[in-house]
Amino acid sequence: MEEWYNAIKSADSIDKIEEIRIAVFGKKGIMNAEFARMKDVPNEEKGAFAKELNIHKEGLNALLVDRKLFLAMEHLNASMKGEAIDVSLYSPVSERGSLHPVMETMDRIVEYFVAMNFSVQTGPMVEDDFHNFEALNLPKYHPARDMQDTFYFKDAKLLRTHTSPVQIRTMMSTKPPIRMIAPGSVFRRDYDLTHTPMFHQVEGLVVEEEGKVSFANLKFILEDFLKTMFGDINVRFRPSFFPFTEPSAEVDISCIFCGGSGCRVCSKTGWLEVLGCGIVDPNVFKAVGYENVSGYAFGLGVERFAMLIHRIGDLRSLFEGDVRLLEQFR
Amino acid sequence: MIVTKNWLNEWIDLSAVSTQQLLKTFNAIGLEVDRHDVINVPQGVVIGFVESCEKHPDADKLNVCQVNVGTDVRQIVCGASNVRAGIYVAVATVGAQLPGGLIIKEAKLRGMDSYGMICSSKEIGLPSMGEGIMILDASIGLLESGKELSAYPIFNDDIIEIELTANRGDCLSIHGVARDLSAAFNKELRESTQKLEQEGRLGIGRILQLQHAETYDVELLFGAVEIKELSVPFLITLRMAILEENSLSIMDTLLKYATHSTGVVLRAYPFGMLEETGTGKSVMTLSHDENGYAALYGKEKLSIVGVSQREEGRFLANSGLAIIEASYISPDIIAKKMGETKVVSCPHYYHTSRGSEPELEMGIRYVMRLFEKYTQSAIYGGNLEVQSSSETRVVTMDEGEFESFIGMKIDKTTLTQILKNLGMGISKPKASTFAISVPRFRHDILNKQDIIEEIVRMVGIDNIPSKALVFTEKNQNTDDLETYRKIRTFRQRCAQSGFFESVHFVFNERSLCERFGFECTQKEMELLNPITATFDTLRPTLMLGLLNSASANGKVNQKKIALFESGMVFDTNRIESKRLAFIISGGSMGEKLSNAGKAPVIDLATFAQRISDIIGSFEMSAYTPIHTLAHPYMCARIIINGAEAGELFRVHPSIEAEFDLSPTFMCEVKMDALPYGLVQAQPFSKFQASFRDLSLLVPKSLQYEEIKAIIVKHASVEIQRFYPVDRYVSDALGDNVSLSIRFVVQSMEKTLEEEEITVAMESILKGLNEELGVGLR
Repeated sequence: MEEWYNAIKSADSIDKIEEIRIAVFGKKGIMNAEFARMKDVPNEEKGAFAKELNIHKEGLNALLVDRKLFLAMEHLNASMKGEAIDVSLYSPVSERGSLHPVMETMDRIVEYFVAMNFSVQTGPMVEDDFHNFEALNLPKYHPARDMQDTFYFKDAKLLRTHTSPVQIRTMMSTKPPIRMIAPGSVFRRDYDLTHTPMFHQVEGLVVEEEGKVSFANLKFILEDFLKTMFGDINVRFRPSFFPFTEPSAEVDISCIFCGGSGCRVCSKTGWLEVLGCGIVDPNVFKAVGYENVSGYAFGLGVERFAMLIHRIGDLRSLFEGDVRLLEQFR
Repeated sequence: MIVTKNWLNEWIDLSAVSTQQLLKTFNAIGLEVDRHDVINVPQGVVIGFVESCEKHPDADKLNVCQVNVGTDVRQIVCGASNVRAGIYVAVATVGAQLPGGLIIKEAKLRGMDSYGMICSSKEIGLPSMGEGIMILDASIGLLESGKELSAYPIFNDDIIEIELTANRGDCLSIHGVARDLSAAFNKELRESTQKLEQEGRLGIGRILQLQHAETYDVELLFGAVEIKELSVPFLITLRMAILEENSLSIMDTLLKYATHSTGVVLRAYPFGMLEETGTGKSVMTLSHDENGYAALYGKEKLSIVGVSQREEGRFLANSGLAIIEASYISPDIIAKKMGETKVVSCPHYYHTSRGSEPELEMGIRYVMRLFEKYTQSAIYGGNLEVQSSSETRVVTMDEGEFESFIGMKIDKTTLTQILKNLGMGISKPKASTFAISVPRFRHDILNKQDIIEEIVRMVGIDNIPSKALVFTEKNQNTDDLETYRKIRTFRQRCAQSGFFESVHFVFNERSLCERFGFECTQKEMELLNPITATFDTLRPTLMLGLLNSASANGKVNQKKIALFESGMVFDTNRIESKRLAFIISGGSMGEKLSNAGKAPVIDLATFAQRISDIIGSFEMSAYTPIHTLAHPYMCARIIINGAEAGELFRVHPSIEAEFDLSPTFMCEVKMDALPYGLVQAQPFSKFQASFRDLSLLVPKSLQYEEIKAIIVKHASVEIQRFYPVDRYVSDALGDNVSLSIRFVVQSMEKTLEEEEITVAMESILKGLNEELGVGLR
């Protein structure tokens, strides 16, 4: 018996183990042979004989199973070792695409205002004089209406110079109260380092009954919005002038590059102009036939936001579809 | 608008205001500071008096000057052509460091000792005042040899450029800006009301008569002056140099200076151009010209009031009798007139159209004082004027309105003080009501909100609290928002699928579009003033923009270009529609170890698969597009749910070559045709599905879509779906190919028996055989 124990212990392959198993436990194996000897054993010794044989049977079997498991593990390990791979060769480079930084910035802006219960409104890019100028208190001979600034068509239509005509259209087709933004492309006849003939704006308008909307409300939402977009910055309002708002203000944020101490980007002023806003001019309400209302409006250039947020230096690069820029936004 | 602190100081006492405070105040009251430069003449630059000036013995262009610098007389060699004896100059003494970094040392110039340098304006950090050295005069203050230049206020100044908004014509002068500051600082303007001494002067009425028949919407005031030896003092020359006005005639320089100071539009006419009457008097006539503008006539037309002056009517001499005109026209009237009938205008028009100063007498008085102070001219007494009727504008406001517009309470005393400082008249018809009369120089203040703006400016927006608006909640899920979400969803899928979003201008080049067979905006509706020839029409497709971008990327050696754009295109009637377009050029994936550095080039199947990852499953059928961008034999119409949704094709090889592109595939689909919205789940079979392949022998020319149609026609309900899995081409098959189609057969009710499957397949085979003559291989 002892030799079988040694044989199992020294077996070095699954095949060998199988051979031993057959030799020990097979039909013609030694175990059956031993049990067959039982009939020759005197009756009083039968008990002890059987007991000893059973001990060996169990012992050999347990050893066999153990050894087989061990060898299987060894085999697996060896085969896995053969599959070894230099993982450092396979660091992946993402092949995902990306959203355009201007469009992604626009998405963020829209999301903010949607969360503030603003509606999203759109309108045509080819507009008429009334919606783009007249109704916005830009009278016929206003300097902003120069041919230099506006793209006109032969039939006297024009490409909208801002998304404000969407506000006019919304006011004319619905009743107050209104809480809306108008995101979209706008067009000015200007093309140099800091101007492109097309760019994107988001404009906002809130109209409530007379006396309900104040400049303090406008300050609240714009301060909150700018902090959402730019993080921990200071916000400054400067009185300004727009034909469609009165009072009007331009809004600056403390320079995100120098923190306000003055640098090249902020022309050493410590401030970056990012928004225009104001209380809606009564002439605008008059043009759309609204009475006894008050409201505020604001507008911003999405490219400017995207360039500041993502530190993009060249405006024109945003319209060139250059993969070297776009792949950075994966 | 350029101001300097000293210049402002002539109108308002700013001695207690720091420059930083001044800049901050400008921004706070809506006069945005665009630029701030400091004039700071370095130490050691002193006043010198040139006692003698002789030619250098050994150098033609050099002069040897003896210059009195107070303590002593020094020899200085000077190369300027305008140096001469008897003038006061700026001398940089030995040891002085000039702005360029030059340190003045004792020197020998061609053998002559020189102890200092006589300076030009630029050399000591002032704006350019023309060729040569600066010649100083008493206009800067008492001239004392040896006194540091920096001790004179004018050489110690701040130049501030303000970006004025279009409504603030009243601030187009030093006086106007000072007036706004006086409200901001709650400090009165300096008195300047003393009238010109009239005694002993010849009255203007003795020489000039003014004729006008009708009434006109213009205001005019005329004075007369006998000019003698007109010249421009140093102070004015320097200030004009700060304004970068260096090339005007002497008279125009003085008038421009007076206009910049007072805001009043001023002109001068030579008396000789007026019509003589024979009584010693000459006549000027105000009349409407051929375009309906109010114009002045003498012997001939002299000027259009507030708009332009004819060359013949200008006073260009340095002496002689001049008529000085101050004019005012309401900017609304003149802008409207100019809009209706455009005429050539001169620089004055800018002032007139933005709203010049209506206080004409101040302007005339100011310029006459310049003549009297700096020249030997003799002024005529009195003025002749043309008036127009104008009513004072009154805005009535309730006290509570201030609070509701601004969002904070401002007490009555403060409100009253601010309005008074701004030149408004206030009466109180009722306890809580203000009747505010607007001064004429504020043509921009028309209504309550204009008044509110004035209060807001002076209070400072930064001092207004932020308050959340209380509003009525409302369902804001508009159709536009839903469309926006749909587009965003597709854009995000594009990015996930490896496409980079690009944005192009909506402009295309018409000739290029037409060359490729696209129809552009019809001619009568075309852009009137395109910015460049390459952007002269609205885009009929997104594909040309993508093609150009892909080409640009290819030129910088990008091997794998995958771009998309979501945007509007325009039809011939300029009707907008939303499209989504794609381009892949070159490799279908990056070069990497797994493809041994050779990324497979994009092919139709891979491209179509990438597109369907984004827009969902679609069918393709053979297609001949209207344009010529496509490879004629690799071009498909995209069909989604039975409806045409767009096109997909390989770019025509000759266009690939033209754009320097590797094999390139493009796709453009209509956003409206893309499925979006909530899914309705369909019942599905719980029984096992069986798969059967049919290998058919089909003619090469037979399109799969024809086979497909026949299969669909003859398929039983158990045929869940089928798809081609193999296409085998071999010479042995002649004009035929072997096409294997896999069928998924499944019943909703039970597991199908072999016989039932066979019956279903035979029905299809029979149909194919009968209708197309196609059988098993």
